[in-house]
Amino acid sequence: MAREYGTENWIDWCPGCGNFGIVSSIYRAFSEMELDPEKTVLVSGIGCSGKMPHFVDVSGVHTLHGRAIPFATGIKMSDPDLEVIVNGGDGDLLGIGAGHFVALGRRNLDILVMMHNNRVYGLTKGQASPTLPKDTQTKALTSPNLQSAVPPLSLALSTGYTFVARSFAMDSDHLKEKIKEGMEHEGAAFLDVLQHCVTYNDIHTADFFRDRIVKSEEPEKERSEAFKKIREFRGSEEILTDVLYQDTEEPTFSERLEKKLTGFEERPPAVQNIEEDGKPILDQKEFLSRFDDLIFD
Amino acid sequence: MVEKIDMILGGAQGAGLETTTQILSSAFASSGLGVLSDREYYSNIKGRHSYVHAEVSSGTVPRSLNSKIDLLGCMDAETLFTHFLDLKEESYLVYDVSISEKKQEKIKSFEDPLRERLEKKFDELGLEGTIDSIVRFLEEEKNVTIIDLDFPSILAELQDQYEISSSQASRYVSSILIGAVSGLMDLETKSVKQGVNDKFEDKQKIAEQNIFLIENVVKQVKEKVGTPLKMDDPSLEKDKKMMVNGNQVTGMGKIVAGLRFQSYYPITPAADESFFLEENAGESEEENILVFQTEDEIAAITSCIGAALTGTRSATATSGPGFALMVEGLGWAGMNEVPIVITYYQRGGPSTGLPTRGSQEDLTNALFSSHGDFPRIVLASGDHGEAFLDAVESFNLAEKYQTPVIHLLDKYLANFTKTTDIPDLERIKIERGKKAEDTDIKRFADGPISPRISLGDEVIWNTGSEHSPKGHVMEDPENRIKMHEKRMDKLELADKNMEMPERVKYYGPEDPEYLLVGWGSVKGPALDSLESLDERIGYLHLRVFSPFPSEEVLSYLEKADKIISLEHSYSVKISRVIRMETGISIDNEVVKFTGRPMYRDEFIEALKNIIEAGSQREVLRHGP
Ligand SMILES: Cc1ncc(C[n+]2csc(CCOP(=O)(O)OP(=O)(O)O)c2C)c(N)n1
Ligand code: SF4
Ligand SMILES: [Mg+2]
Repeated sequence: MAREYGTENWIDWCPGCGNFGIVSSIYRAFSEMELDPEKTVLVSGIGCSGKMPHFVDVSGVHTLHGRAIPFATGIKMSDPDLEVIVNGGDGDLLGIGAGHFVALGRRNLDILVMMHNNRVYGLTKGQASPTLPKDTQTKALTSPNLQSAVPPLSLALSTGYTFVARSFAMDSDHLKEKIKEGMEHEGAAFLDVLQHCVTYNDIHTADFFRDRIVKSEEPEKERSEAFKKIREFRGSEEILTDVLYQDTEEPTFSERLEKKLTGFEERPPAVQNIEEDGKPILDQKEFLSRFDDLIFD
Repeated sequence: MVEKIDMILGGAQGAGLETTTQILSSAFASSGLGVLSDREYYSNIKGRHSYVHAEVSSGTVPRSLNSKIDLLGCMDAETLFTHFLDLKEESYLVYDVSISEKKQEKIKSFEDPLRERLEKKFDELGLEGTIDSIVRFLEEEKNVTIIDLDFPSILAELQDQYEISSSQASRYVSSILIGAVSGLMDLETKSVKQGVNDKFEDKQKIAEQNIFLIENVVKQVKEKVGTPLKMDDPSLEKDKKMMVNGNQVTGMGKIVAGLRFQSYYPITPAADESFFLEENAGESEEENILVFQTEDEIAAITSCIGAALTGTRSATATSGPGFALMVEGLGWAGMNEVPIVITYYQRGGPSTGLPTRGSQEDLTNALFSSHGDFPRIVLASGDHGEAFLDAVESFNLAEKYQTPVIHLLDKYLANFTKTTDIPDLERIKIERGKKAEDTDIKRFADGPISPRISLGDEVIWNTGSEHSPKGHVMEDPENRIKMHEKRMDKLELADKNMEMPERVKYYGPEDPEYLLVGWGSVKGPALDSLESLDERIGYLHLRVFSPFPSEEVLSYLEKADKIISLEHSYSVKISRVIRMETGISIDNEVVKFTGRPMYRDEFIEALKNIIEAGSQREVLRHGP
């Protein structure tokens, strides 16, 4: 029988929240991939989205607001054997943590980032998030939003992510597949998950998304083509989903590190041995020979 | 023959002074002399005044510098203007006669207050304000021996000999100082040549040209004045020694400790440690040290924590502004019982402050920053030997107690190069603490120290929220009490069991009348002052601030008639911490907050003012 990935914890999202769709797609994807729970790590930020790890029976690291990516980066670099997935909110990843979002793209480290895009700050009661369009006034706002939205796919494309995709929380079959593809992709993968917030976003509801989604065909191999496609949708009511872009050629960060530190992929930091019987593994002579220019007779 | 000299060599930042210092230091070291040298510079890449102040001794390894110097070597006029008053009676000046006519007004890089101080001084002394007038003053009034070299003609000779352009030749100005110092001190030609060759290993031509120029200058200097600064035969132990600065020796400690992941975001004076690690990590497959430059200090600490969660010995190195960004992450590491080491090099604050100058202003920042309560261990090193051992011990403590360790250092130590004993790896212990053997155990089970489980070993959960023993969010009040107590009890345990490093060390007579109390880089001047006054003076050196060794400190404080705190800060945080931890108020203090080091002579003068003249607070100010 396929493994179940639920935990004993009661899930405390608002009834009807899009996050339920996301968690169930995660369960299905993990089951189908038969992931080893000990070797899989969900790393999340802070927000409604950040609670995800407590509901999934793989290792979980519930970090700080905006910092899931750098935590995940340290984990993955130290132990590339681990399958690492980031769950973040739109505020988490593109507001307070935007610098890290950019840095991950530049590194092309093999991590899947799932952005729970509800266009509001759920857990702090509905303020505008960086993906809320200008002039929009969701329920908790006292006046329309004064700031323009960050375009997540364009940002991911221009900062170096080699897998850029979008799906919808309530289209479980599709989302599950994109999660699997994003995890199987070698390199930095970004999955923008359209998620409705039943409590604070009365504009971008589940039906709002359902009515507007269109699927992209084949993933583009050229960034410029992907941008072109995005441009075609600008100003239109339709929302493009699916894998927009994938590049399998660009070396991952592990491969780049291997060039600098020979043997890194074989013996990454987490598996290196540093002591023997409580002593350093270093040989005194060899150690000192590294500092010839600092040592005098 | 002399036993000890202090010298200043100065020139524009980026003009070769660093190389000169390295070559001379290695020549001193291979001659068996003890050296302590400081590098002072602006936050600037090229053009502003920088200098090296070194004390060289044949008898002991110096622990502090003297503000009054025996030799001033000037690459340019600015150096002479800036430092001429530092020369002692009957000392030595090396300068370029071709700049004799230069006036202080012409030095564009002077900051106004220094210019004003100089003008006032010139008026006082009746000087015209030219280089020449200063040189005559030094010669006539201070009996300074003048070694006037004609830099342009020295460079012209080099130019002719090797058929190089004048702009190429001008790069050798700093080597003129090597020649002058070698001549005056009669350094062995062999060691100087060796120093040059080591430095320009793969640039044979440059080495040869340097040696040609240096030998020429040595000859000129000896003809002019002989070898008046020749040192006594060194009486230091003949063992191998290293010449290292604080960044290097701390890096060595980290390598020995088994560091495997170091994250950093570039900042003075910490970044050099990361470069050093990158250059000197071993090449065996069991020693790939990953040095990771992050996008900011928030990513530096959080990626460091991530790596530590997988069981890797992980650290990050920074300075005050970077630490400010790390504080939220520090709390997360405390909450999740993650062993990380933060190597914290203090520099002058607040804000950008004095970015290339030293300070000890951040003791309370290291002790108390971050919201809420969690255990942290805070160590502080006072010299190169301590920095090495503390670097190793930081990792042992972090893993034994599964909590963050802050290792405090400062810019003085970072940039002071010192003759230091070679580390003996046989004596180093690696202690990785309790690891979980049982597979069915909760990550935060039974405290205070739960067996450690790393990512990849078992399914575990971590969260910055208060959590159950399993690591899931839990706000229940009884659980809160249990978990909070479990974490905080680790400090008490550490307080009881901590053997290394020596948390408090007392130097001096059994029953001191005056007790100096300090930490970090004040150790050198403090120790050097103990014998200088008639009174019985002792020095209490603190090396562990958390857990604070209250009883031990108290027992020393109670023995003394009068206590004097020492710190490179305005507000003397050590006095505040001691009062908080022991109830004892310390009313006397010697402080310095200009970012320049405490010099031995000004320090002793300050002690006299307190001990003999009843002053309460002495503010030191020497150094341009
Ligand atoms: C440093 C910091 N600042 C502010 C907060 C408060 N905070 C908690 S969640 C959140 C926003 C959450 O919005 P989002 O990232 O979109 O996640 P969502 O709840 O919508 O899933 C904020 C601002 C915090 N936890 N930490
Ligand atoms: S506030 Fe919105 S995002 Fe958060 S749990 Fe409720 S519905 Fe979901
Ligand atoms: Mg959100």
